[in-house]
Amino acid sequence: MSGAAGMDLRYPIGGLFTVLGVILAGYGFATRGDVQLYAPSGNLNINLLWGVVMLVFGLLFLALAAVAGRREASDAAGAGREDRGGARGRDH
Amino acid sequence: MPVTQLRTLDYVVMAIYFAVVLGIGWALRRKMRTSTDFFLSGRSLPPWVTGLAFLSANLGAQEVIGMGASGAKYGIATAHFYWVGAIPAMVFVGLFMMPFYYGSRARSVPEYLKLRFDEKTRTYNAISFAAMTVFSSGVSMYAMGKLLNLLLGWDFDTSVLVSAGIVLAYVLLGGLTSAIYNEVLQFFMIVFGFAPLVFLGLRATGGWEMLQHRLTQAAINAQITPTSYTHVWKGMGDPATNSIGVEAFGLLMGLGFVLSFGYWCTDFLVVQRAMAADSMTAARRTPLIAAVPKMFFPFLVILPGMIALVLGGGEGATAVGGIGQGLIPAKLGANGAALIDATGRTVLDYDLATPMMLVTLFPTGMLGLGLTALIASFMSGMAGNVTAFNTVWTYDIYQSHIRKGASDEHYLWMGRVATVGGILLSVAAAYAAGAFNNIMEFLQLVFAFVNAPLFATFALGMFWKRSTGHGAFTGLVAGTLGAVVHHGISLARGAIPGIKGGYFATMLTYPSELAQTFWTATAAFTTCLVVTIVVSMITRPRPDEELKGLVYSLTPRPTEGHLTWVQKPATFAIAVLAMTAVLNVIFF
Repeated sequence: MSGAAGMDLRYPIGGLFTVLGVILAGYGFATRGDVQLYAPSGNLNINLLWGVVMLVFGLLFLALAAVAGRREASDAAGAGREDRGGARGRDH
Repeated sequence: MPVTQLRTLDYVVMAIYFAVVLGIGWALRRKMRTSTDFFLSGRSLPPWVTGLAFLSANLGAQEVIGMGASGAKYGIATAHFYWVGAIPAMVFVGLFMMPFYYGSRARSVPEYLKLRFDEKTRTYNAISFAAMTVFSSGVSMYAMGKLLNLLLGWDFDTSVLVSAGIVLAYVLLGGLTSAIYNEVLQFFMIVFGFAPLVFLGLRATGGWEMLQHRLTQAAINAQITPTSYTHVWKGMGDPATNSIGVEAFGLLMGLGFVLSFGYWCTDFLVVQRAMAADSMTAARRTPLIAAVPKMFFPFLVILPGMIALVLGGGEGATAVGGIGQGLIPAKLGANGAALIDATGRTVLDYDLATPMMLVTLFPTGMLGLGLTALIASFMSGMAGNVTAFNTVWTYDIYQSHIRKGASDEHYLWMGRVATVGGILLSVAAAYAAGAFNNIMEFLQLVFAFVNAPLFATFALGMFWKRSTGHGAFTGLVAGTLGAVVHHGISLARGAIPGIKGGYFATMLTYPSELAQTFWTATAAFTTCLVVTIVVSMITRPRPDEELKGLVYSLTPRPTEGHLTWVQKPATFAIAVLAMTAVLNVIFF
């Protein structure tokens, strides 16, 4: 999936949103109950809520990247075997 | 005085994003060995990456700010720009045109014109396209500098120079791959920055039902048809009963056919993303993959504008001064007083609809995320233009006219120089936009005229083997003139002759400026079509052998034998069109 361009984009995407998620969720957790801060967002701790959503998304992308990386490694190891899905053997 | 102030946390969020952006460029720096790596990503990217980049490359300032503004101005009918004005054309370019762009191994859209027609047609397209990229990235930079100054009190020069510097760094380091990767990243930033905005906005209005109710009330207050803001098709029978002032035929023909096919099917900025794909199937899937999020983007970028129109009291008004509506402040004249239109109504500064939503609904933290998403969209629009510019400059202008037959290394070097040059020109254009507002408006008009006939040329080139180079070139020039003539004799109701049209005579009056734009494009397209056909018939066609792979009837169909029916681009395309149709029915 990473191709000749040589970098699996899922790592930076996953990494970015994991870090942003941790920061926002952490800040949201620390500021829970701060009525004044969350007045604009209708008394909803959007930092905590959305931080958790971003964290989950980020971790998911990191997991996808790790799975793809492992599959690529095992493909390379068993290069003689037939690629079952054939997804890699695209037309050109 | 700025509207809001950022806290340390907001800056931290911003800094992390830009660190990742620059990091991607840094990580790719050693991969850029040949000019193909730099300009075409070595044709090696998977379709989900090129697909999201195809979508994001167009997701610049016009999209995020402009669609929010149109949402506030026209309501949900703005979705026509997506469901009519984008999806069908995206499906068409994927299914029918990509086999020629990708299959011909052309390195750019102008180069396809060279292969299919001749050098003069290519050069005409290359020069106008290159000028347009520099111009639009400059206008986008100017808009960003102005907005950040107004919202956050940031210095205009610093905003422009820092953003230009970041784009320069990551494009120089990682070429097109870097631009594409960052476009994908920006796609996710926009989704994560704007989804909560829509969520909080709907929550504050009391849900979709309540929003519809309040918009209906707003339409009644403004003395327009009550369903104007809340329905896409209802009222399209007559220009007087819908918010955009166009009847259905003009919309389908002008926006749905001429303008949208002219943009999505011929603009190298987006087509370049598909050309970077790793296979023919991937290249054909690229616009189709992009079409799926594209059809849902109205909810992300148009809804904030609609909500801004009815939300809250006078936060917007008190923050910027003057009277506004909802969160949208009044547009201020040069003397600082609110502008009033001919009917005595306050003119609203619709471009501030989405930014005002961000600063009103987001607390510290989320505000940093939302603003980062906004800045990211400005910058990636800039990067998209610059990567298209350096390719067209290097391959279609420099290599074909200035220095032929140099080494690949030399062209790679030229590409980097063109990147620096393109950015410098964009910055210059940004300052020109500030200093000479009228010249910018004029240039925008010129480019619209040059672009309007393009699709006729490409459609004839790809699907009619008899069309010739002389035909194509004459058709393009005639089409542009056709646009000028139509614009010069028509005027939107209430407009004064001048830059808005009517400079020859006022023979046609349209109910709105959009209607005038749509019909100008249609006139250009028709002129180009007719002239190309006529001139082609009287000039000598090229022999069939030379046109293999460039024209539909002389090109073998792409082999899809190894794909199951579910994997075929055609199946995907039908699913995309069906989903779009469903959305049109829901919001009828």
